[in-house]
Amino acid sequence: MATSQPPLRFTSHHNLVYRLVLSTLTGRTVHISQIRSSSPTNPGLAPHEISFLRLLDAITNGSQMEISYTGTVLVYKPGLVTGSTTGTGASGGMITYELPSNCNRGLSYFLIPLCLLAPFAKAPMKVLFTGPGVITSSTPTGDMSVDSVRTAILPLYKQFGIFNNIELRILRRSNTGPTGRGGGGEVQLVFGHQVRLPKTLHLMNAGRIKRIRGVVYSVGVSGSNNARMIETARGILNPLSPDTYIFSDVASAPLVPAPDKTNPQAKKKIGLGFGLSLVAESSTGCLFSADVASPPSGGQAPEEIGKQCAFQLLETVAKGGCVAPAAVTTMFILMTMGSEDVGRLQVGRDVIADPNVVQLARDLSKFGAPGWGIRDAPDNGDGDVIVSVVGRGIGNVGRKVA
Amino acid sequence: MVVKRKRETTVVSKPQAKEDSPPPVDNAQDVFRRLFEAQFEPLDLPGPTAKSTNSDEENEDDDDSDLSGSESDWDGMSDISDESNQVEVVEHTGTYAAPTDKMDKKTWKAFMSGKLLSDLDKPSTEPEPTSKKEEEEDAHESANLKHDLALQRLLKESHLLDSADDLAPTGKNRLKALDLRMQSLGAKTSLYAQTKMPTAHRRGIKAKAESKEDRRRQEAKENGIILEKPSKVQKSSNNGRRDRGLAGSSVGKFSGGTLNLNKDDIARVQASGRRMMGGRGKGKTRGARGGRGGSKR
Repeated sequence: MATSQPPLRFTSHHNLVYRLVLSTLTGRTVHISQIRSSSPTNPGLAPHEISFLRLLDAITNGSQMEISYTGTVLVYKPGLVTGSTTGTGASGGMITYELPSNCNRGLSYFLIPLCLLAPFAKAPMKVLFTGPGVITSSTPTGDMSVDSVRTAILPLYKQFGIFNNIELRILRRSNTGPTGRGGGGEVQLVFGHQVRLPKTLHLMNAGRIKRIRGVVYSVGVSGSNNARMIETARGILNPLSPDTYIFSDVASAPLVPAPDKTNPQAKKKIGLGFGLSLVAESSTGCLFSADVASPPSGGQAPEEIGKQCAFQLLETVAKGGCVAPAAVTTMFILMTMGSEDVGRLQVGRDVIADPNVVQLARDLSKFGAPGWGIRDAPDNGDGDVIVSVVGRGIGNVGRKVA
Repeated sequence: MVVKRKRETTVVSKPQAKEDSPPPVDNAQDVFRRLFEAQFEPLDLPGPTAKSTNSDEENEDDDDSDLSGSESDWDGMSDISDESNQVEVVEHTGTYAAPTDKMDKKTWKAFMSGKLLSDLDKPSTEPEPTSKKEEEEDAHESANLKHDLALQRLLKESHLLDSADDLAPTGKNRLKALDLRMQSLGAKTSLYAQTKMPTAHRRGIKAKAESKEDRRRQEAKENGIILEKPSKVQKSSNNGRRDRGLAGSSVGKFSGGTLNLNKDDIARVQASGRRMMGGRGKGKTRGARGGRGGSKR
């Protein structure tokens, strides 16, 4: 989308992904400089950021990106979000996207922004993530697991009127590789509900937790780890919420090609480990998630993981509000993209005080969105605040034209 | 962690024991016995040892005179036990893997498929209530359908029921109602339409119906009532020619389900290719015959 407006200037690598997403949604060119310029060893864009740029390139039409020689400056001129239409890199209506083995972020790093773009695509978004860099579990870098994306992030789109034909299939599981990089998973995202504008959201009643669900996974290790994690987690959660069920999934380790001199066909197992993803659902449909996986270095008992995850879930719920910290970015961006109406969302004080959320608010205002109105929630002792977000009414540029 | 928890439980249980019932820590049976005796008659058991009786006396003394002395006594005892023979309470929490807790495979599949959680939870929770509900609803539905049908029938056949007071018609009315139903289901004519009757009779009926209709129209016209347009009397579509089915074929004679060809017919069929003349000749003869008939008339 050609704009005569000058590019928006940002610095540093913080919040890079959401800046790019906002740029794509609003159609403004961005100029991001000083990307890790102070780092003597690894200046410039990190591998996962490059991967994200390539993903953007794959799902859009006509976007241009220029990266400086050192990788510290990026100019991104967005195109239209096409989704997976045949002829633009998709084969059989499915974009196959391969992540390189040096990726150290979980797949949710790519999935969550992609899901933000998908409702505004021209055609349904169908992406198959493969390759030696797909980590489906949660990672030490702070990404949630793909299970949590499916159970805690994607259902939130329903509140914006986006609910049809959305699927996230985990075809092959993988934990983080031995050095914290790489995996061998395979995940398929189908996002088939495209809208012109998301509905205005008014979510001010967090309700009470009515059920807890979870997925516990072991990849390439004994399934008894699952039972141990479940037992500990349930030991903590069951007295608080009797409707607690944790589903167990035992998968074999994925194989990735590892050619050596003698055997070019050689493969190796990667991404062994286990982990737990928990989701608490409130009576009003608010979702809170927690994710813990075994560290790539190992040395943690499943009981420990289960306990950590259960406590993490309790902590997330204790933060209050209607949105978990992991989902707050998604909610605010969708609200901003909504129709020109004031949407309201009650969030916990700790949730909105997060530096990432503050940064998001600043970025949004730089992109031309009106500021947020924040006031204390009435008759609430938890110290929640109600954030009023005015939609920009941009919504789906592709739909407007088409 | 587990060890810690154990200790906690023991610590908690100890002071309770001290506060609640200091004297009979070692002899629980006595407590029960006294409780029993307080409600019912005193027991005279041969079993209780000298020690227990002693304790009984002591307890009675305690109740009567001073509590403090005995308490201090038993505190000492409990202190000793605290140090030496501490009872370790093991809390076994692994009761969660009960078979009822494990979800069935269907739920597992539903949850682990790529679908969203919000869509999935419905089937996992609902099936049992719905099955009950559905049954009820089904019963309702079928009852409603039955009532509907009965009402429709009543409306249709109400003219038969003028005299009858019963909703389910009987006798002649029942037969008539049945006939109406047959017709509504697609029967061409009424079961009771008379097929064979003398011509004069039929003509009379027809004439009567026509005159009736005429009179009705006449009256309507006089009274200024607009009636439906008179339906055109349908002439039989085959003008004088009856459709004779297979028997209508131009060759041979069809009788008893078989087409009988005599020699002439066979010859004609065989000859039709080569000798058109012969066929014509026959046609001529036929024509001649017709002519003869015509002359007769």
